[in-house]
Amino acid sequence: MKKTAVFVLGPDRSGIIAAVSQVLFEQGCNLEDVNQTSLQSQFVGIFIAAATDRAREQELLRALRERLDPLGLFVYVRPVGPADERPAAPSEPYVITTIGPDRAGLVAGITGLLASHGVNITNLKAVTRSEREHQEYVMYYEVDIPADTDRQAFRAALRERARELGLDVNLQHREIFEQVHRI
Amino acid sequence: MLTEREVLATLEMLRSENLDVRTVTLGVSLFDCASDDVGRFIERVRAKITRLAANLVDICDEVGLGYGIPIVNKRISVSPIAVAAGGFSAEQMCTIAEGLDDIARELRCDFLGGFSALVEKGFTRGDRALIEAIPEALARTGRICSSINVASTAAGINMDAVALMGRTIRRAAERTADRDGIGCAKLVVFANIPQDVPFMAGAYLGVGEPDAVINVGVSGPGVIKKAIDRARAANPSLDLGGLSETIKRTAFKVTRVGELIGRRVAVRLGVPFGVVDLSLAPTPTPGDSVGEIFQSLGLGSIGSPGSTAVLALLNDAVKKGGIFASSHVGGLSGAFIPVSEDLSIAAAARGGQLTIEKLEAMTSVCSVGLDMVAIPGDTPAETISGIIADEMAIGVINGKSTAARLIPVPGKRAGDTVSFGGLLGDATIMPVPGGGGSAGFISLGGRIPAPVHSFKN
Repeated sequence: MKKTAVFVLGPDRSGIIAAVSQVLFEQGCNLEDVNQTSLQSQFVGIFIAAATDRAREQELLRALRERLDPLGLFVYVRPVGPADERPAAPSEPYVITTIGPDRAGLVAGITGLLASHGVNITNLKAVTRSEREHQEYVMYYEVDIPADTDRQAFRAALRERARELGLDVNLQHREIFEQVHRI
Repeated sequence: MLTEREVLATLEMLRSENLDVRTVTLGVSLFDCASDDVGRFIERVRAKITRLAANLVDICDEVGLGYGIPIVNKRISVSPIAVAAGGFSAEQMCTIAEGLDDIARELRCDFLGGFSALVEKGFTRGDRALIEAIPEALARTGRICSSINVASTAAGINMDAVALMGRTIRRAAERTADRDGIGCAKLVVFANIPQDVPFMAGAYLGVGEPDAVINVGVSGPGVIKKAIDRARAANPSLDLGGLSETIKRTAFKVTRVGELIGRRVAVRLGVPFGVVDLSLAPTPTPGDSVGEIFQSLGLGSIGSPGSTAVLALLNDAVKKGGIFASSHVGGLSGAFIPVSEDLSIAAAARGGQLTIEKLEAMTSVCSVGLDMVAIPGDTPAETISGIIADEMAIGVINGKSTAARLIPVPGKRAGDTVSFGGLLGDATIMPVPGGGGSAGFISLGGRIPAPVHSFKN
């Protein structure tokens, strides 16, 4: 069955998921997967729906716009095909944490290095917290490091990049976080 | 996806709470190395230990780096030498100790334990040779640790062995007088010694153990203290039931770290995983102290009235959290209170808040005993034996392990200070009340029978 991805972006408010899922239902689509997140005041949602034959992409887009435009939301629809699914290369899950004063270019600096080593980011979060009367900017990246990556070289490069950015960095296998906190 | 709390809490345990794995100890059975020739025995031992432990340090470092949790000590424990090398003389036992010391140094292991004998019911020839060799063996080596089990709940207390160990401790101190009697810091007398202790000086591999096994000792006093401080700051009316729960939950986390890392090292080495020893092991590093936990729980100092109750609560909560976190728990499993190895306990001994009598009382509810206690160099051997006998009685009657690691520092008196360096730390010599009043009792010898409640069959 044909699958369609619906992307919705804009200012967060109540009723967005309800509006999108109602339109999908009316258009004969079965919602398979949905994920949403909001950051500060902004909302992003991704909906993957299996479409029945009578559902047409342009018609779906028109109906969604009609419902979402008044809410100030942007919507984008595209078909999901086999070409989108890349087989995952063998990899190990790690967590990178950085701590240090906030400044421009930190995420770009770290992620640029990760990209150059073929490391895929599966989750990224940044938080500010108070530590002994001063503010610290903590970023943590959940990443998949390809099995064939030279770990020592990657670790050394990451340390060096963090040093240039004025950050303390830790690279730890993800298992430790799960084992310590989960039963 | 991990939660923010999971990531930040783990990070905090590492950054400011001194979370580490205190020791990964590879146990190696030496029973298949037996020989009637001491040179051949040492060569067989070398071949076997080297085959199993050649990559121990590198693998521990790699696994520690991968998880971001340092493994502080990499150690080896072996079958009791008094059994594995039972046919040799005292001089040959010294040669064996030197051979083991070389092996430990070549493999970059911090300590090798198992220069040991089990004599709770009596001596074999090998036991006597080994005990006679202890002062010389510990003086000639740097990494060898020795333990003698002189009592058990099932057998009672071998008072001849207690008397002998009092004299042996004095000899070991005198033989290393130039280094403040440091030989005694590597010698421990036990009741009910577990077969799988990964911690020194009591580590050895018991006769019921596999050919090779990885046992892990966790750490974590700093993590427990900070968790208590945080819980009390968040809820100032939190009572001891709530604080016990906080300790339990934290001990769970600390133990999971040890279990995970131990299992990974065991897989990499190709040997079975044995146990996690749940002990809270302090070091002389600030913030890595068991004594400070007493202060976090409202006492002015360890040693103040209330200390035994605090230790009972702490020991129990650590066990409850740890047992749930690990598939196999063993070793000593409880809180250690080594006087010189813990800044806060050492300070309490120096300031007079903590006395040897209070320490002894506390050992009735903790996992080890009178540990790293420096006493005056002129303490008579019979008095040392008396202290050992008291400590053994606590273990035997309570069906638990107890131990005495006493250092009669040559030439020093109560109140003087001594520095053993490194993990062994600094200590103030503690006064031993009662003078020489133990000699008559110790001279009686024989065996104190097993207590009535040991007859469970």
